[in-house]
Amino acid sequence: MNQPLTKQRELIRLKKTSREFKNKRRRFSQTIAFAIIWTLGITAIALLIWIIGYVFIKGFPTINLEFLTTRPAGGFDGEGGISTTIVTTIYLVVFTIILAAPLGIGAAIYFIEYANEIKNRNRFAAWLIKTARTGVEILAGVPSIIFGLFGFAVFVSYMKLGFSLLSAGLSGACLVLPVIIRTTEEALLAVPESYREGSLGLGATKWQTVTGVVLPAALPGIVTGIVLSVGRIISETAIFWVTLGGSYRLPQNLMSSGRSLALHVYMLATETRAFDKAMGTSAILIVIIMILNLAINVSSKYFQKRLIGK
Amino acid sequence: MDLKTFTSPNGKKRPIFISLLTLFTLLLSIAFLVFGILLFFSIVTFPVNKWVALFAGMILSFGFFLLSKGFFTLQNWARTCLLSILIVILIGILILQIFDFSSAVFAGKEVLSLGEIFSNFGKFLLKTILHATAPGIIFFFLYKFDDVFSETPKQRHDFDRIIRNFLMGTALSAILIVILIFFFTFQESELAITEIGLKKLLTGTIWRPGAIIGTENAQFGLVPMVIGSIYSTLGAILIGLPLSLGTAILLAEIAPDFVRNIFRTSIELLSGIPSVVYGLFGMVVVAPMIRQIPVEGNTTGFGILNASIILSIMILPTITNITEDAIRAVPNSYREASYALGATHWQTIKDVVLPAANSGILAAVILGISRALGETMALIMVIGNSIAIPKPINENPLSVIFATARTLTGNIAVEINYAAGVHRSALFFTGVLLFVFLLLINRLANRIMRGNKTK
Repeated sequence: MNQPLTKQRELIRLKKTSREFKNKRRRFSQTIAFAIIWTLGITAIALLIWIIGYVFIKGFPTINLEFLTTRPAGGFDGEGGISTTIVTTIYLVVFTIILAAPLGIGAAIYFIEYANEIKNRNRFAAWLIKTARTGVEILAGVPSIIFGLFGFAVFVSYMKLGFSLLSAGLSGACLVLPVIIRTTEEALLAVPESYREGSLGLGATKWQTVTGVVLPAALPGIVTGIVLSVGRIISETAIFWVTLGGSYRLPQNLMSSGRSLALHVYMLATETRAFDKAMGTSAILIVIIMILNLAINVSSKYFQKRLIGK
Repeated sequence: MDLKTFTSPNGKKRPIFISLLTLFTLLLSIAFLVFGILLFFSIVTFPVNKWVALFAGMILSFGFFLLSKGFFTLQNWARTCLLSILIVILIGILILQIFDFSSAVFAGKEVLSLGEIFSNFGKFLLKTILHATAPGIIFFFLYKFDDVFSETPKQRHDFDRIIRNFLMGTALSAILIVILIFFFTFQESELAITEIGLKKLLTGTIWRPGAIIGTENAQFGLVPMVIGSIYSTLGAILIGLPLSLGTAILLAEIAPDFVRNIFRTSIELLSGIPSVVYGLFGMVVVAPMIRQIPVEGNTTGFGILNASIILSIMILPTITNITEDAIRAVPNSYREASYALGATHWQTIKDVVLPAANSGILAAVILGISRALGETMALIMVIGNSIAIPKPINENPLSVIFATARTLTGNIAVEINYAAGVHRSALFFTGVLLFVFLLLINRLANRIMRGNKTK
């Protein structure tokens, strides 16, 4: 009588252990896999900490007031500081942004605010807008050395501007144009449609709506894009290596050659023995990039808060 | 004259300032005309073509005459025009003064002492204010008297249309730049294609520009650089892909929020670090470490292995970010269904989430490759820049990773500054090759990503 029941129980017990075993194995494989993933992730971050830590530890001791206020002297020993390179970098950034920001912001305004209404009216215009968007996409993927080559061919030799701030700024503007267009587009898209409707309903023209309502609302997003491009210009080397020259003197006007901070690091590392000074300059570069990243984070948080309305 | 013309259409009285401005712009118009004519008949000498001078004088004169007329009839467009001209003038003055100021401060080997800087700064301020006074005052009053001016709805509409066309112009700037890049790089590389020939450029295995350009010894084969680019990129993907894939899975699926925030900020920082800093790190830290590896013939530490390591760190943010986005885009219902079937977290990731995100991951890898192929300065610093085809340094064929090489990008950057003639043209051809290839794979990646989104 009891026999089948015990058999059944035995079967259930067996099944249970097998499931437990399976579960154990699954859990074990999950533990192993997760351990590997954690290791990989932590390795990636450790690499970052290693690089930044190394540059900071080697670089900070060389940074002092004298290093910041003397100009590089050239030569094999890489004597001197970085005063003129800092100023050149600032010139370059300001000049490039002055050139690229109006173009990029204008293009983004057109894509978001104007393109839709024209698309429905005119087939040729629709095709043109599509092509322009493709152009932005292509431009975003072009590496900086190609921009450099382009700047070298057009501005340095064809337009005979020579190695100068002007050539470098124009080429740099081409480089950051897609960055500004994309971030501005995102910022404009984030502005609620009701803002525009309200303004148009009050009788404002399209342009009044854009300048009076949409742009102020999107401003922090646009600023994010500009800060992003500032970072890009500061850290870019290849494009300025072939358009800015490399003079260690301070540019007297837009037509003179100069040397940005990143370019200075490259020249110190390849043409001199002054690795400590290269490290010091690198440390300053990383600090600037960190500050810019912080600014972007703060600005985008502020932007979100403002649009959602707290 | 009718009294009506002396009051604005808004019913406000015309301020004396506006009358003065009308007179001023009219005088400017006459002055430009007279000056242009004087230049044309060489009564005044100025280093400019006399026809250009005449035309410029006439156009400027006409422009200012229109402006004057606009001010007389109190048109809003005249105000807008003059305001923009004044802004340009003010910015110009500021830029010139800043150049002056910093040239004075950085004239010597060292910066001037603090006191001198302050005195220079005082001079700078004084000069700027002096120069900017006249345009500044006009700007201020124009800005203030905005209610005197008026415009008809038609004018407002026309202005809107002008703005729209102008904005369309800016929108087309990107495609214009792409076309210019195409045009100029192709045009410059034409010489190389006709003189050397496509076949020799693409299949030649020797790159020897020669001391004097045009000597018979000069050879321009790009194969060594292509191989160098392929090896270093391959190595970068081999090292970088597991790292970035692991990081992406960790961030998207496993890590708690606070870990994710820390990691995200760090990876953002990683993508912002200048490439020269990576290059410097490769020279100073990685090269000595590679030198210690006990392999026969391994002496320099510079070469493909070093380049691959540095590149793998540089492409990590790209691959990680795109992969993470792709994993996040997988709908939660997939995961829930998998859990409901009794799968563990890892099984869900492995069998459900990753296969669903695979096209995004593919796009990430392609974009990583594109980034690696386009990288220049960091590679020049660590790869050794030898122009021969990289060969294994001992019997083991794998030891090729210790060999020095040169990439396509590096080839351009190292030689372009002094190249001329056919040599220069061949370098431009290198750029064309790179550009076209990157264009194709970027389009591919974009297409994959877009297909992913619509799915």
